[in-house]
Amino acid sequence: MTTETRRDAVQRPPAEVRYADELVRLRETDDGERPPGWALSLRAARTFIVGDPDAGISRKFVGDASLIDRALVTLATSRGLLLVGEPGTAKSLLSELLAAAVSGDSTLVIQGGAATTEDQIRYSWNYALLVAEGPSTRSLVAAPLLRGMAEGRVVRFEEITRCPLEVQDSLLSPLSDRMLAVPELSGDDGLVFARDGFTVIATANTRDRGVNEMSAALKRRFNFETVFPIPDLATELDLVEAQASELLARSGVRVPPRRDVLEVLVTTFRELRGGVTERGDTMERLSSVMSTAEAVSVAHAVGLRGWFLRGEAGQAADVVACLAGTAAKDNADDLARLRRYLEQQARGHAGEQWQALHAARHLLPG
Amino acid sequence: MAAPVTVVGVRHHSPACAGLVAATIETLRPAYVLIEGPADVNDRMDELLLGHTLPVAIFTSYRDGERTHASWSPFCGYSPEWVAVTQGRASGAEVRFIDLPAWHPAFATRENRYADAEERYLRATERLCAAFGMDNADTLWDHLVEAAPAEGLADRLSVYFETLRGDSAAGAADLEREAYMATWIRAAAARDEGPVLVVCGGFHRPALERLLATDDSAAARPAMLAPPPGAVGSVPEVPAAPRGCHRPALKPPVEACERNAATPEVPAPPPKAVGSAAEVPAAPGGAAWSVSEVPAAQGGAVGSVPEVSTPPGGAVWSWPAVPAPPPGAVGSSYLVPYAFKRLDAFHGYQSGMPSPEFYQRVWDDGPEAAGRGLAETVVTRLRRRGQPASTADLIAARTMAEGLARVRGHAYPARADVLDGLVSALVGEAMEAPLPWAHRGRLAVGTHPVVVEMVAALAGDRVGALHPDTPQPPLVGAVTAELTRLGLDVAGARTLDLTDGADRERSRALHRLRVLGVPGYQRISGPKPGVDPALTEQWRLADDPNRLVALIEAGGHGATLADAAAAALLERAADAGGRADVVADVLFDAALCGVAAVTGEIVASLRRAVGGITDLAQLGGVLAVALGLWRHDRLFGAARSEQLGEVIHGGVTRGLWLAEGVHGGPAPADLARLRAVVAIRDGLRHAAEALDIDRAAGLAVMARIAADAAAPPDLRGAAFGFGWSLGGGGDPARAVRGAAAPGVLGDWLAGLFSVARDEATADGGLLDVLDGLVGAMTDGDFLIALPALRQAFAYFPPRERQRLAEAVLARRGIVEDGRALLRLRADPVRRARAIELDSYVDELLRTERLVAP
Repeated sequence: MTTETRRDAVQRPPAEVRYADELVRLRETDDGERPPGWALSLRAARTFIVGDPDAGISRKFVGDASLIDRALVTLATSRGLLLVGEPGTAKSLLSELLAAAVSGDSTLVIQGGAATTEDQIRYSWNYALLVAEGPSTRSLVAAPLLRGMAEGRVVRFEEITRCPLEVQDSLLSPLSDRMLAVPELSGDDGLVFARDGFTVIATANTRDRGVNEMSAALKRRFNFETVFPIPDLATELDLVEAQASELLARSGVRVPPRRDVLEVLVTTFRELRGGVTERGDTMERLSSVMSTAEAVSVAHAVGLRGWFLRGEAGQAADVVACLAGTAAKDNADDLARLRRYLEQQARGHAGEQWQALHAARHLLPG
Repeated sequence: MAAPVTVVGVRHHSPACAGLVAATIETLRPAYVLIEGPADVNDRMDELLLGHTLPVAIFTSYRDGERTHASWSPFCGYSPEWVAVTQGRASGAEVRFIDLPAWHPAFATRENRYADAEERYLRATERLCAAFGMDNADTLWDHLVEAAPAEGLADRLSVYFETLRGDSAAGAADLEREAYMATWIRAAAARDEGPVLVVCGGFHRPALERLLATDDSAAARPAMLAPPPGAVGSVPEVPAAPRGCHRPALKPPVEACERNAATPEVPAPPPKAVGSAAEVPAAPGGAAWSVSEVPAAQGGAVGSVPEVSTPPGGAVWSWPAVPAPPPGAVGSSYLVPYAFKRLDAFHGYQSGMPSPEFYQRVWDDGPEAAGRGLAETVVTRLRRRGQPASTADLIAARTMAEGLARVRGHAYPARADVLDGLVSALVGEAMEAPLPWAHRGRLAVGTHPVVVEMVAALAGDRVGALHPDTPQPPLVGAVTAELTRLGLDVAGARTLDLTDGADRERSRALHRLRVLGVPGYQRISGPKPGVDPALTEQWRLADDPNRLVALIEAGGHGATLADAAAAALLERAADAGGRADVVADVLFDAALCGVAAVTGEIVASLRRAVGGITDLAQLGGVLAVALGLWRHDRLFGAARSEQLGEVIHGGVTRGLWLAEGVHGGPAPADLARLRAVVAIRDGLRHAAEALDIDRAAGLAVMARIAADAAAPPDLRGAAFGFGWSLGGGGDPARAVRGAAAPGVLGDWLAGLFSVARDEATADGGLLDVLDGLVGAMTDGDFLIALPALRQAFAYFPPRERQRLAEAVLARRGIVEDGRALLRLRADPVRRARAIELDSYVDELLRTERLVAP
């Protein structure tokens, strides 16, 4: 079995596998100084993420280049990096790309959640061996944090603020003292010191219980980087079009989505997300998440409705029908805001699809 | 033989360019320094050098029958133009401004000669930013120029500006200015008294060179001039790109490459905007690109150029004529104080490079010290505001900044590196708005307070002052003359009748002085926004020692009282930070001052602000002011103005949006909120057709509110009245029954009557239902309902109330004058309480069986 077939079988290979050739090329031409323990120099890592068309490196993250600069420099210092932002702003993708660029490996991931325990972060035991042999390095099962420290690699901590406070705080000593005690083991094995290259990239969601639930002590050990939604319409529209087309093709829809319908959809998302219309009128933002990812899923749903119900690409009226489920979810206030938006703001846009959107406003439930 | 011409293209307010200008003067020792600046102040150049505290500006005002225009040419210590003036003078050169006067129609849309955030080369800068992985044109500029090594700077600038020019279409105004500047350059060169140095905006440099070269090729004269001694670096050099990222170098145009064998790539030349046939003649190898020497035309060569003709017998060439304002128009230029705040692109309108304080320090202390000083200033400012900023943070900020400088290939931290470092170290939470230095323009709403403080620290608050010997700005004389003419030059109290033309003119003059902050003019009473118009005004005039100083300062705003007041009001509107009530006040002041010319702009900012109002009552106030002016203002000429129409359109839309968001249980009627509903209704009623406001949407929103159990009763009543008064809505009797609970009825009716009093009076059935409902109340319920009911009926004037009372009596078969019922001798609430006590006693007696049931 070749690597190629194995790669095909995986639904979504990690970034270092997806972009393996680019990483190899960068490593070959990289003559910059590498921070200790890094797979690439800072400049090569930056190029890996922001891209360089002349060198055949694709642009992988749409956003300010200065954000990548700050993130990389932070990783080279002794502070961890905390990416915060609205859901669906590609924080996890960015963290994966950073880890792949810095360590050549983005698989040391801790997924934060209400049930995350310290065992899943630091280490646990193979209980059969533990009972048979007592605590030893053989019976120790290293979790991502211990492995990252021992091997000098980047550890990714997803949705850190969804973990209980006391579990988050298990990062304190590794981040400040750069060591982890394993009191069950004796002698030198009882202390694991972080090797060069170890650092933590955490992500947190501004909607999800709030970043404020992090302790002040832990906050001090992170540099915060806010990731914003895509600033310009054209880039976001291209992204939505590309991803929705791919999803639709996979779902058996044989017509591509209509660009004018997508433009209406993406503009609606942007206006509801930012609380400002293109004309400059401000309005209330929706409290539910209006991310690019959600826009892709609505575009997907619109395409499915159009194709399987009527055999065409989907209309503005389908956008209204699908918006109620995504944009308003179960929030009555958001539903009212959405209704007002369709009633008052959609009318102000010129274009056939906008008028169709306005005319279809009655399709909202309630 | 003509003298060699060297053109240095600069970005206005760039310290690096200023340094280049100084170095070029030093090495070239020019006989003439020609500067892009208003040619009409050449004979008053000495005034500029009196020893002012910078920043100062040349202020130009213009007025003819059709158009008035005010513009500024600001100078600070690190302005290349300022350095050219001062250093040029110091080196003994003759210094001249060579651009068209600022009142010239070519500047009709510009208020700041040295502004640069221009649409015309947006496309080029976007492309460059993408190629270099930079956020915006300012960081790109820092990267290529300010934070890059001084060697090769001139070449980089040249290539940069050539790219901008090649990519953008120059407008007719640019071409006209360039043609005019070229006549000066030719004249200076033809005098042949020594090298000629031209300092102009980099955007104009390629065009000027082509213009001069065209002259030359017309004369079929080979370009054989040697470069000036010590011409700056010859190999175009761009600061090292991040390693591993192949950076497409700024493309030097073909001519540069021909001259420079050292340049590795020979990319295609950018398309030329001007004179594509003309090429800068090749010079002997190794000539500098930056400071390009274009052999100037000989006498014979320029014979074909109409503006400049060869003087007979080798006499000294005369300078080109400075255009004079057309007959009947007034155009004049004066020196006025300026301020860093107005220079800063984060705040100002049409301004140049951002962060003047930072670049001032770069100019004074060098880039390295500037970066360090900046971090310290920010931390000091934050601590003064009580924000935590520890030493550890400062160290982290510096480490970050240095790391970032290294990644980005800077020798020392540039502006964005320092700012990025500070923000990483100091902001320990999610931010709501993107960082302002990542995108050009005003600070976004919701910018993190630490970031706001950082931006303010970089902008600085230096304010210029004129040397005492400077001639006074024209405003001072204009004000004195106007006050004398109006008879307002004597202290004392004045009463003005606003319906009288002469008094209205006096009132406007005094209001203009008031908005300019000139002390000694106090208004005691007069028209106020939101109340019935007053027709007289009372003022108190007093002599004040600070009056002259205030007038000189105000002189920066304009040459006449009207212009200055207009500019001051515009600035206030821009500083309002989107607070609609503040902008509405400014609009009202503009109406009082009678400055119709700027009302449009103020209204435009009001239009933007209206969308941001979150309080329905506040919106109602703004909407009422706008609607009142739109419908009735003949006095100030705002009636039916298109922009006010947009405010109303936006206000109605926003009001509908806000009204539907108001929720809450029974509460006393909120009169301000009800006034807002009335304002929205009036907007729909009087302006829906003229302004294309969606009436159906308004009615739909109000119908939903009227039926919404979660909305407060007064708003529901008003919403019902809204539909009723616009000819829609449901059955009023049914609606009243729906709101018949004693704690709700009065408030609901207050809402209804506030919006649809006429309809309610005309509808006899409503009174029947109401009479029935109130009659059926127990005494206790009646007491609960009474205060709100009284408030509701207070919307009726006495005469209507009397008619209502008579109708109620008639229902009981009594024919009587209702007036007696309206004049109560006792407090009604006390009477109601007495009635309740009676009924309580009755009830008690009955339950104790002390009376027969």
